Amino acid sequence: MSKLLTINNNPEIAVKEFLMFLLEKEKVSGVFSLRKVNKNGAVDYGLITDKSHLDEIVPLHPLMPINAGQVLSRFTPIEKPIAAVIKPCEFRAFIELVKREQGTLDNFLLITYSCSGVFPLKENVNGSINDQLSAYWKATEKAEIPSEIRPTCRICEHFAPVNSDILISLIGEETGKCKMYLNTEKAEKFAEGFEGKISSEEFITSKLDSLKEKRLKEKEEVFSKINTEESGLDGLIDVFGRCIGCHGCRNVCPICYCTLCDFESANFDYNVPILERELEEKGALRLPPDTIFFHIGRLSHMSFSCVGCGQCSDVCPANIPVASVFRKSGERVAGIFDYVPGRDVEEEIPVMIYKEEEFQELGE
Amino acid sequence: MTEVSKKGVKLTSEKVRKEILQFFKNAMESKLIDAVMMPMQVPSKDSYAWILIKDINLLEDMNPIAPIMPINAANALKRYTRKGKGKFKIAVLMRPCEIRATIELTKLKQIELEDVILLSYDCVGALPMQDYIADPENNEKKFDKILTENNWNSEDLKPVCNICDKFSLSASDVHFGLKDNEIIILSNSEKGEKLLSELKIEDKKDDKIWAEKINKIKIEKAKNRQKSFKEIKTMTDGFTNLQDTFAHCIGCHNCQSVCPICYCRQCYFDSSVSKPNSDVKLIRAENKGALAFPLDRLMFHIGRMSHMSLSCVSCGLCSDACPVDIPVANIFSYMASETQKTFEYSAGESVGDALPMRDYKLDELGELGKLVKSAEAGESENE
Repeated sequence: MSKLLTINNNPEIAVKEFLMFLLEKEKVSGVFSLRKVNKNGAVDYGLITDKSHLDEIVPLHPLMPINAGQVLSRFTPIEKPIAAVIKPCEFRAFIELVKREQGTLDNFLLITYSCSGVFPLKENVNGSINDQLSAYWKATEKAEIPSEIRPTCRICEHFAPVNSDILISLIGEETGKCKMYLNTEKAEKFAEGFEGKISSEEFITSKLDSLKEKRLKEKEEVFSKINTEESGLDGLIDVFGRCIGCHGCRNVCPICYCTLCDFESANFDYNVPILERELEEKGALRLPPDTIFFHIGRLSHMSFSCVGCGQCSDVCPANIPVASVFRKSGERVAGIFDYVPGRDVEEEIPVMIYKEEEFQELGE
Repeated sequence: MTEVSKKGVKLTSEKVRKEILQFFKNAMESKLIDAVMMPMQVPSKDSYAWILIKDINLLEDMNPIAPIMPINAANALKRYTRKGKGKFKIAVLMRPCEIRATIELTKLKQIELEDVILLSYDCVGALPMQDYIADPENNEKKFDKILTENNWNSEDLKPVCNICDKFSLSASDVHFGLKDNEIIILSNSEKGEKLLSELKIEDKKDDKIWAEKINKIKIEKAKNRQKSFKEIKTMTDGFTNLQDTFAHCIGCHNCQSVCPICYCRQCYFDSSVSKPNSDVKLIRAENKGALAFPLDRLMFHIGRMSHMSLSCVSCGLCSDACPVDIPVANIFSYMASETQKTFEYSAGESVGDALPMRDYKLDELGELGKLVKSAEAGESENE
């Protein structure tokens, strides 16, 4: 039975006060949160160790400049406790990275919230996000899909992870109160001494069912438009043909953790005769080569763990709907194994475990 | 024989493309070249890709002057010749900034030019890639109009194209000059001269009317350039302004990935050296009270600048690829103009100009130089 900590304040302020409490009481040595960094409204993640910097933070801001899961995994192992406020898909990415031995959860107090989605990065750069924020929070209160958010957020159904240390309930809640669900013993220990009403109550996921249904419906619509699996190579060329090979999708992907991607390695530096043979056989050769191959390769390497954060689509200079394709493909493959990326740290990644009976045929 | 436009008739975009394609057709038919690299529209018709063709029938599908530059041609050519020369003679048609990038990459040993003939043309500029992708049909028309009207100052073009004063003859072997009513072909190297004479094409390298026209445009562009540089200087002056300029950067390194000069397989800033352990991060945070993530974004840009600005050709791909609209290209172009001036170097102008950082002169070594010289003098006395 998890505990509910209710604070009589607007969630943004309550979270800030909670983080201040953790820092002041030296329960943590640092706080990790989104923050507004300058007059241009730029937002980044900050690790704050001095409480005087806490007024810069905007922990619940609907923007994702980088997937925090990627940052946090590279922050481990850490010997002193850190509290981090991150979005559900960032939390799930962190879990996947832990399973892939790219980090540990030790010494982290992970705080997530039921997330309405984030705006595309450009909406922040051109400042239009400011006009949309009040509508965004209204939609959140009413458990609706806010307009202008990332396409991947519209179709996300894993927007309230109940297994994070702390889950702040935002969707469908009045803004005057902040409901923090303390899901782990760790969370209870950290929250000890913080002012607020404690009750025994579990986060009721069914409250979010209607929103989930809306999102699932949109997901089916989006997925039905991606027919790459039926149209084969031609379909892939239609989707990825305008790729310029910058590999930006890979660079921002939290799951793609390789320091040097195989597709950037010497393996793909072909000797001239190989290229000449292809040129002679086909009469033409696209340069640089392997445009589609890269995406298929990446799909097969990481789509199993794809958390649908949408960073890939947001940074694509050629506006390819990378996230939708990867989400669909990842879900179909993971679905065979009833696997949901980032659901549970104990759940093993199916392609990474071997069962003896799987080799039975070979053995016989 | 290339058909030459009749004087008095306005040169249209259609005619420019047709005549350039005819040139390549003749060269392929005469077996003077085996393969041609040029832009071709992708099947979804919303962008272009670099295609190397050997089958002459595919030539008619190529667009020699594409409205956009999704990939710098030097990067495409690099992937074919990085491991040395092959058995085919290849002709490549590029924009002048791509020629310059090719020359830089040749010096950096990433391209082998022995069996490559470089061709260029007077470039009006390119449209921003994302504008084109959003509406290919209209942008195709828009660009045709710019080309036909010879509009060298269109606001629809990439900002970096509007400040480019090296849009004409560069270090290519053969160049197509665009006059108001005809297209002229001129050679710019022995290789080019030989090709033109073998094709029996009149070499118009002394065309004064064309040279005058180009000079006039150059002067206009140089003015735009100075204006932009002034703005960039104000925008980036001092640490705080520099930090503000790059504040939206998310550290995706797209600018580096698409940069033709950044040829490192693994950038220093992506290597494990740039991923310090968590205790180091915590110490850094504690020193300042807060630490920003992704780490060292400004450091990345300054580092990249110091690594590549001497070879920057101002192609503008960095700006095209930036997901948060930082005017990377104009900033780097400004920096490059300053650093290149310092070393009296012009990126991509000639394969013969040594890269300043790779060229050691004895007198540069100062004191050590003097010591070496006196030692040498001592040696010659002993002889």
